[in-house]
Amino acid sequence: MTSTYVPLESTKFATNHQREWAKGLQAQITSGAKYAFVNADTPHELFHYMDVPLVTNQWWSAIIAAKQLSEYYFDYMETLGFHDRLARYSSLPLIAELEGDRERQPWGGLPKPSILCARQSADDHQKIFSLWAERTGAPLFLLSSPAVPDPHPEWWRLARSDWESFYGSDRLDLMVAEFEALVEELEKLTGRPFDHDGFARYMEAINEQERIFEEASEILASAPRSPIRISEQIPNVMIPQWHRGSEWALSHARRFRDELAERVRAGSAVVENERIRMMWIGAGLWFDTSFYSAFEESHGAVFAWSMYLPFAADGYIREIKGDPLRALAARVSAMNEQLHQPPWVNSWLVEQAKKYRIDVALMLIPEHDRFSGHGSLFAKKALEEAGVRVIEVWSDMVDKRQWNRDEMVARVSAVLDAVLAEKGV
Amino acid sequence: MPQPSPFESRRAAGSRLEHAFEARDRNQPAASLPRIGIFGNGFPETLVAAAGGVPVHLSMGQLSEKTAIDEIIEPFVDEEVRIFLNRLMNGEFADFLGIVFARDDAPALVAYQYACEWVRQGRAPAAVPPMFLWNLVHATTPAVERFNAIQAEKLFDFLNRIGLNRPDDQAIAEAAAAEGRRRKALERLGASGVSGTVAMRWRNAGRFMTAGEHADLLDAALGEIEGGARGGLRIGVIGSPLLSPASYELFEGFGTIVCDWQPWGAVWPGPGNDKLTLPEILRATAADPSCPRIAPTTAFRTALLDAVTEARCELVLCQLAPTDDTIGWEIPAIASALGERGIAFVNLGFREPDQDTWHERAAALISAKLEARK
Repeated sequence: MTSTYVPLESTKFATNHQREWAKGLQAQITSGAKYAFVNADTPHELFHYMDVPLVTNQWWSAIIAAKQLSEYYFDYMETLGFHDRLARYSSLPLIAELEGDRERQPWGGLPKPSILCARQSADDHQKIFSLWAERTGAPLFLLSSPAVPDPHPEWWRLARSDWESFYGSDRLDLMVAEFEALVEELEKLTGRPFDHDGFARYMEAINEQERIFEEASEILASAPRSPIRISEQIPNVMIPQWHRGSEWALSHARRFRDELAERVRAGSAVVENERIRMMWIGAGLWFDTSFYSAFEESHGAVFAWSMYLPFAADGYIREIKGDPLRALAARVSAMNEQLHQPPWVNSWLVEQAKKYRIDVALMLIPEHDRFSGHGSLFAKKALEEAGVRVIEVWSDMVDKRQWNRDEMVARVSAVLDAVLAEKGV
Repeated sequence: MPQPSPFESRRAAGSRLEHAFEARDRNQPAASLPRIGIFGNGFPETLVAAAGGVPVHLSMGQLSEKTAIDEIIEPFVDEEVRIFLNRLMNGEFADFLGIVFARDDAPALVAYQYACEWVRQGRAPAAVPPMFLWNLVHATTPAVERFNAIQAEKLFDFLNRIGLNRPDDQAIAEAAAAEGRRRKALERLGASGVSGTVAMRWRNAGRFMTAGEHADLLDAALGEIEGGARGGLRIGVIGSPLLSPASYELFEGFGTIVCDWQPWGAVWPGPGNDKLTLPEILRATAADPSCPRIAPTTAFRTALLDAVTEARCELVLCQLAPTDDTIGWEIPAIASALGERGIAFVNLGFREPDQDTWHERAAALISAKLEARK
């Protein structure tokens, strides 16, 4: 049923670009260039714009996991005296650093960063980054994270242009002040001044990129059958997102959107006889991405949705309104929270499930990364009430010790059998 | 009418404190004032008192009956949140005028968000009181100070909206003075030579009454005691929130708890409570190093190590809630720093649902450590 599936040309372009970029970054930083080590929900835009190369904690974590090293490091973590219920996705790079054997690590390990940056969205992020700072002696820049006290559920409708009242002026004032302090640090680091007008243009370019991704998401959602696997969606979105606003990123976003449109026009599908549409909720299953195609042949079931593509539009497009730093604050000040906290996560997932005509959702619940797990059961209930079957996947994005693929395939298959029976197939 | 003897007064005050501790948020304060629920450390109770309310902590109660909200609470959510949410949806806080949640106390944010969402979805009983998120940021930059001042204004708006006074400078100073009396009484308690178990109970009893009543009861219960050091090994307790007298008694089978630096220990009341002006209250609260989210990040561990060192602890015990995701990051560094200071350290690990099993394991670990040091 899936033997005719041909990967996108765009995927090759994206992964080649990332490989070259990674090589360049590796060469840059291992030859002593200043670089930043930052969490995913920090304002990457400021680092990019100031030409400070950055390594993202969660990206580096996925790289380590993809090299099948997570098991070793998490076992090692316990020998250091850290207990086994602490966060994993956000801590894997730290543990690799503490372990210290650079030869074992990808790239022969990372040199000392010039600056560390984390947002206090999760309670443990500052602890993890503080240990990084102690270990490496690098300065740590923390961004505070007061909550939105009265979150409107339909954040994706309000956050693009009504962000001032939606996120709250007091929160935005604070975040802008913290950005300004960060910009000062980056100016010191690079020896060059921050150009506000140039930054406004850069922010406009990012908005343009995310609008292209929005079009891509619309194409996927409305296609009669899913034309690509999510294992291809993810790199085609995330690689440009790591380079957002660059010429290459915009051009790639267009290439990806156009190739999708062409596939749909040509009637291509992952599964010729698509019977069940599924969504994968949560971050990627980085150590076993082939799982995403495990039910195509057996059940005609395809993963049609992963958060990365639709979130590119809803999570990133923020009208500039003549104040690019404030617009950036609106983008960053609840970035991760929108994916994990009620009412935001449950409302958005239901909206997306309807839009993508989802039958079954697999929900990754990482119990050791509590911030990413909170709100899961609210979301599950909301999806079920919207007619979606939900399978809880109690596992982790990077720790395969808790992952039993055969068992999971059996669990999912049983549900898919029932769905097919209901559909009279 | 004969006056009660000093001994009888002391005994009555002690009983009153014991009763308040046992009753928790069901305790009836002497003052007949509106009660405002508090969830979490990091909120200066002075501000509620200044508005004419009694701040009463709601995170320490017992579960009576599960409600429908239980099904959406993940197993990794802190137990105090689960209990609170079930009780809230069971109408147990219907007699509170409002509830304030301290955002920077990890369980409190989850409690607030889950409660609000259940209410928004129309699944909550009508008896859920108005809720307020106290968004104070624990840092000391000028931008944070401006932000925190706005949060105080929002709090005052909320208190006013639910029927309390908007605190003015004089009311704040008066409430802070009562907190000052409480602080002095708690200092006497710490130096009185009572056991760490009793000190924990009598201190936390104050979470369910006014600061003035707490100070009066402590003063009366301590009477003319001039204090005196209790003998035995000097013990420090750190880790997750702990409220079990049985655990304290177990620990004190090995000595005396002289430093209680866990969230439900002597870090409460927060350092902002007895400051006389609003800016001072906010500044001191924001600089409270016992908050795990404090910036700079090193302040937490430094303050903890200073506390156990100043208390001349010989043994530090660390115990963890099964849901811990913060203090666990500190444990290796704390163990190492204590080792350098010659202070024994035992990580008792996660508390278990069966208290006897957990106590048996804890006692064995402590005994083994002490035996090894002989």
